[in-house]
Amino acid sequence: MPAPAKVIEIDSIVTRFGEQVVHDGVSFDVERGTLVALIGGSGSGKSVLLREVIGLQRPTSGRIRLLGTDVWNASADEMNATRRRFGMMFQDGALFSSLTVAENIAVPLTEHAQVPEDILDALVSLRLSQAGLGPDAAPKMPSELSGGMRKRAAIARALALEPEVLFLDEPTSGLDPTTARGFDAMVRSLVDDLGITVFLVTHDLDTLLTVVDRIVVLARGKVLADGKARDVIQVDDPWIQSYFSVRTMVSGSPEPT
Amino acid sequence: MPADSAQTVTPPAARLDREPAGAVLRLSGAWRLAGLVDIERELTALKLPAELAIDGAAVTDIDTASALLLLTHLKNAGVDVQQLPLAGFAANEARIVEQVRKRLDEVTKPWPHRREGLLAHIGRETMAVIQLLAGHLNYLGETLAQMFRSLVAPGTIRIRELTAQFEQVCLNAIPVVALVTLLIGVVVAYLLGLQAEKYGANIFVVDGVGIGATREFAPIIVAVIVAGRSGAAFTAQLGSMRLNEETDAIRTLGLSTMDVLVLPRVFALMAAMPLLVFVGDVMSLLGAMLIADPMLDITPTTFLGRLQENLALKHVYVGLLKAPVFALFIAVIGCRMGMTVQRDTRALGVATTSTVVQSIVAVILLDAGFAVLFQELDI
Repeated sequence: MPAPAKVIEIDSIVTRFGEQVVHDGVSFDVERGTLVALIGGSGSGKSVLLREVIGLQRPTSGRIRLLGTDVWNASADEMNATRRRFGMMFQDGALFSSLTVAENIAVPLTEHAQVPEDILDALVSLRLSQAGLGPDAAPKMPSELSGGMRKRAAIARALALEPEVLFLDEPTSGLDPTTARGFDAMVRSLVDDLGITVFLVTHDLDTLLTVVDRIVVLARGKVLADGKARDVIQVDDPWIQSYFSVRTMVSGSPEPT
Repeated sequence: MPADSAQTVTPPAARLDREPAGAVLRLSGAWRLAGLVDIERELTALKLPAELAIDGAAVTDIDTASALLLLTHLKNAGVDVQQLPLAGFAANEARIVEQVRKRLDEVTKPWPHRREGLLAHIGRETMAVIQLLAGHLNYLGETLAQMFRSLVAPGTIRIRELTAQFEQVCLNAIPVVALVTLLIGVVVAYLLGLQAEKYGANIFVVDGVGIGATREFAPIIVAVIVAGRSGAAFTAQLGSMRLNEETDAIRTLGLSTMDVLVLPRVFALMAAMPLLVFVGDVMSLLGAMLIADPMLDITPTTFLGRLQENLALKHVYVGLLKAPVFALFIAVIGCRMGMTVQRDTRALGVATTSTVVQSIVAVILLDAGFAVLFQELDI
C-alpha cells in the first residue's frame, strides 16, 4: 500500500487542566501495520491522549498527525475525510441504544459510503464475523447484549468503513479471561490479516505480554519507556517494575514475546 | 508526504477473458469500499460462466467489502466460490480475500430482521398498556398499604428524606406556581370581563373567577406543573439510581426501597399539593383583582367584599380536597416508572416523558370523576 509508514505522529504534546499538567512533552510515532499499546497509571492521561489523537479534545500545545493530517490544524473537511479512515471503540461500546446491532453497524456504511442494498446485510454480517460475533447478534438491541458482546459489536461498528487505523480504549476491561484472550486473538488477526494499525489503551498484562508489538509507557507526563514488551519490562523504574511484578509473581518469569 | 486521498486512484474494473485453459476474470484498479457501486456495475455487465478463475495481478488494492461483493456476486452466478482458483494477488491482498472467502457462507445467510406487521404492533402495544395499567394499580395498592402501616407506626417514616423531598416539591415550586396561577387569574378575569361588560354584569366576574379558580383552574394548573416538575424528577431520580444499581444496593443492605425512596416522595407530594393549590387560589384571585380595577372598574375593596359574600367556602374545600388525590397519583406514577425503567440510557428518557403524559391524563380523568361525584353529592 503506497502510504506513509508512520500512521500516528505525536510531537511534544503538552496538556494542562488549570494548574495540573497531564502531558509534559509527549512524543512518539506509530508505524503502519503494528499493534501498539499505551499504558500508564490511573490519571496519567492515557485516555486524554487517545481523545487528543482522534480529535475529540485539544491539547494545550504540540502537534498530532494522524494518517498525514494535522489533527488540530486541518480544515473541517480534511478532518472529516480522515475520520472515515479510522475507527474507534469506546470503553463501554457507546452503541446507539435506540438502534439494533445491525443498524448500529450500518450507520457509518449508509452515512459515508454507497453500499448496494443487496449486499448491506452480508457486509454487516461480515463485520460481525470479523469482530467474532455470529449473525444472530444482528437483530438484537444493545441492551440485550453482554458486556463482551457489546465490545465486539462496537468493534464491528468501528470496522464498518474498513479503517486503516483502529483505536481501542481498554478493550478487555470487564471481560472474563477466556473472552479477553479471544479478543486479543481477534485484534491480532485484524493486524496480521487485514493490515490494520491498532492503537490501544489497556491495563491487561496478558494483552501486553502476548499480542502487542510495542508498548509505550506514559507516566509523570512523559514517555517513560517505549519498545517491545521484553525490553520495557527491564526498564529500571519503580513504577514499571511494580506494574509488571504482579505478573512475574504469578508465572515466575514473563515470557518474552 | 502526500495524503492517500490526494493520490489518483484507478477505478475498479473487471474483464472476462475466454482462454484455452478456461475463462479468467481479470480484475484491475483499486477495489475499495468507496467504489462498491462501480464494482457492482462492472460485475453485472459481465455474463459469468460457472467455471472460471480469478486473476488479480492488476489489482492495486482490495478490501474486505469489495471482496465480499465480488464473492457474493460469483456465488449468486453459480460459481463454486470455495473451489475458485485465485491467482496474481499480492500476499496481503490474498489474505484479505481468503478472510472473506472463509466467512462467505456464514455471512450471506439472511438473519431475521426486526419487523412486525401492523396487527402484531397494535397487539403488542395494547398488551403493554394493559400490563402498565395493571402494574400501576398493583403498585398503588402496595403503596397505600405501606402508607397505612407507616401511619400506624410513625417511627418508620424517614423524616430527613421527607423534609428534603418536601423542600424540593413544595418550597422550590412556589415561585413557578405563583407566577403561572397569577397569569391565569389575569387571563380568565380578562376574558370573562370582555363578555360581562357587554351586559353590564361586571361584578359577576368576581363570582365566576372565584368559583372557577378555586374549584377547577388552580388544582388542575398546579397538578400539571407538579407532574412536569416533580413527577418527571421522581422518575429521573429513581430511574438513574436503578441504572446505577443503587436500588439493588438498598435492597442488599436489608432496607426497603418503598420505605427509603418511595414513601417519602409520596408523603411529601401529598402534603405539598394542597399548600401549592392554596397558593394558586390566592394568586389567581390576586391576578383577577389586579385586572378588574383598570378594566372593569371594580376596586379591590369591592372585589374582596363581593368575594366574601358570594364565594361559598365549599368550592375552596373541593379544590383543596382534590389536591392530595392528584398528588398520590402523580407520585405513584412517577415512582413506579422510575423503579421499573429498563436498563439502558434511552429507556430513562422514554420513562420520564411517559410519566408526565400519564400523570396529566390521570389528573384530568380524576378531575372528571370528581366533577361527577360532587354533582351527585350536590356539593
